[in-house]
Amino acid sequence: MYNIAMVSDFFYPNMGGVEGHLYQLSLMLTQRGHKVIIITHSYGNRTGVRYLTNGLKVYYVPHMVIYSEATLPTIYGFFPIFRNIILRERINIVHGHQAFSSLCHEAILHARTMGMRVCFTDHSLFGFADASSILMNKVLKFTLSDIDHVICVSNTSKENTVLRAALTPQMVSVIPNAVVASQFKPDPSAQDKNFITIVVASRLVYRKGMDLLVAVIPRICKTEPKVRFIIGGDGPKRIDLEQMREKNLLHDRVEFLGSVMHHEVHSVLTKGHIFLNTSLTEAFCIGMVEAACCGLLVVSTKVGGVPEVLPRHMIIFSKPEEEDLVNAVLKAIKMIRLKEAVPTKFHDEIKEMYSWSNVAERTEKVYDKIWKLKTPPLMERLRRYYGCGIWAGKIFCIVMAVDYLFWRFLEWLFPTDEIDIAPAFPYQKYRKMFQMADEDDENS
Amino acid sequence: MVEITITYCPFDGYQFSEEDTKCKFCDFDRRRAWNLLKNSSSKSEKKPPWRKLLWIKQDYPDDHVDDTFLDELQKNVNVRAYDYWTVVMESTVISQHISSIVIFIAVFIDLFWGRLSAQNLIISGTVLTIIGYIFWDKSISKTDPAYEYKRWKTAKGAVLFFVTLLGLSPILKTLTKDTSSDTIWALTVILFLANMLFHDYGSENRTNIKFPGSLSTNAAIFASVLLASRLEVNSHVFGLMLFAVEWFALFPIFRRYTKSLSAKFNVALTCILFILATTLFLYISNVIAIIYVLGIIFITFACPYWLIWIQKYKNEIHGPWDEARPKLQPPNE
Repeated sequence: MYNIAMVSDFFYPNMGGVEGHLYQLSLMLTQRGHKVIIITHSYGNRTGVRYLTNGLKVYYVPHMVIYSEATLPTIYGFFPIFRNIILRERINIVHGHQAFSSLCHEAILHARTMGMRVCFTDHSLFGFADASSILMNKVLKFTLSDIDHVICVSNTSKENTVLRAALTPQMVSVIPNAVVASQFKPDPSAQDKNFITIVVASRLVYRKGMDLLVAVIPRICKTEPKVRFIIGGDGPKRIDLEQMREKNLLHDRVEFLGSVMHHEVHSVLTKGHIFLNTSLTEAFCIGMVEAACCGLLVVSTKVGGVPEVLPRHMIIFSKPEEEDLVNAVLKAIKMIRLKEAVPTKFHDEIKEMYSWSNVAERTEKVYDKIWKLKTPPLMERLRRYYGCGIWAGKIFCIVMAVDYLFWRFLEWLFPTDEIDIAPAFPYQKYRKMFQMADEDDENS
Repeated sequence: MVEITITYCPFDGYQFSEEDTKCKFCDFDRRRAWNLLKNSSSKSEKKPPWRKLLWIKQDYPDDHVDDTFLDELQKNVNVRAYDYWTVVMESTVISQHISSIVIFIAVFIDLFWGRLSAQNLIISGTVLTIIGYIFWDKSISKTDPAYEYKRWKTAKGAVLFFVTLLGLSPILKTLTKDTSSDTIWALTVILFLANMLFHDYGSENRTNIKFPGSLSTNAAIFASVLLASRLEVNSHVFGLMLFAVEWFALFPIFRRYTKSLSAKFNVALTCILFILATTLFLYISNVIAIIYVLGIIFITFACPYWLIWIQKYKNEIHGPWDEARPKLQPPNE
């Protein structure tokens, strides 16, 4: 049984794919008998230590946020408190999430200095051409040049990460995301009988293909009078969408919901017959799986990892082109109308395909594997960083060497034996009490 | 797959008839044995090949690396092979622009030292502009008949501009009186560099420019104002400013136009500008003239070769992870 620390900038109260992944995976690992804590940065006045459902302990570390909940990279600023948490909780595996998170990169570096087993999960895809991705790829190469194992959410994501960080592909596992099937049950009574409803639920930004959506909606509304759209989510492209609605007088056909809370997603999805995803890049797209789980037929652009996610009878692919997308949506409408596809049956199939317990089991296998690996000596680590590039290699070596010295200094200033050990949350006891309480409720 | 049939009982050698499911003597279950055999034979066959799918459970470890790994990787799909002489021809755009800046500076120095009279500059500038305009007018009215009525507007604008500039000249002359000349020279150099860097060298497809040409034109005009303010006589100031507007705002349009017209014109124009700049500077400073000549030779002949040589280090990677470019249809009005 391992003591695992999940580190990422992105966690509740922020909401999204990574946050859900962290939470569900941690719960499942706890159920399997491991001890899991989560380290993230503070959100507003949510600082310090909090407990979530089933005794999941979350450390909200005070840290400055610079851009969309990613923290300011300080390299060493996070080390003292990180070391303290790791020692208090007797952590032996550190698991970082998401390449955008500087907290995760720092944690990986420090954990390695402290001789821990480290793995990393990559949740997104990156190009190679623009300046921001070149910088990100360099940082990623730095952190991943000394790591035990990497997990990606799809095979396309694996290919991408292997290229970006120059890893050996054998070091990278593919473990997809999953859904809590019980939260996404189909509900045919919520659907509007007179209309075929198309649901769009994503952030309204360029990367999610909102320009395509703007072009496609008027054309579909024109050819199919009995179709309406529900658009959930918010973002800069909302203005474009609203302008499109004004211009084409589609106020009764296109409905905007604004940003949708996570617990409301189900009620939004069940209103629809068809789920439309127009993303231009996507590593996994959990939204599609949730929609199929709710009994919606999915129409999606064929980008990134999307073709790997759903079987052919649940999804209709289209090129990221206006004409092709219109045809795909019209085909889906026809299939629903003629009952060629029975999406309500999707739920049981999805339940078999994607479950968090399966994800946890597979992640555990990764932990088993890295547990058997030897932690490399300092010299080997320096050698690995040195190979990162002519200039970058030397800079990385300096960064790492300073990190090591800083660690020795911390060891001297706050000796390990003076740090109190936090009592573990009695999960088994808690669960037993919970079950007893449930039984009492049923009896009375 | 080989069809397997059990014709004899393995225990007592009873020969099965077609419909028999069990051995008559020892109750040997023929169908079950057949099923077992079939399964074992299919298991001994190769595993089903790995598929790039997430929704099926496959009999491979999560870190399995298949032979198809990175199959969709594409390298250098957008790379064009350059032809040396085409690149040389394209480089004339840059040498023309550098030459025009050098000529402008030479004109200023001549004015400053009093070797060039303002009258000559104003007259020759105006005459050349009018010739250029007629040239432009002739060709544009061929392609765009709606252009006709704009002529009057252009003439009105030109006169208005002429008069305004004339009125402003005394003000421009004293604009930077309190500033030391060194500051002015340094600022001018920076501004001309900005003009050179941000100039719109592209000839077609001007829909997607990050820095509009106006930034470059503004830098040049600002530099000209600074230089003009160093001159002593009103007419000199007026002459230089008029020349600056013609040279930096109108002349690039003409150059772009000649380039689209024919390659010969373009080469001729480049040579004229080159000779003009060299001769003008030979009177001012031999060293600068030589540096200029060497620079132009480097840009025109060495740089294209360099570009082609460096192409072999180009390494572009494309794959399914790239952000797709949405293809939209042009809006039909």
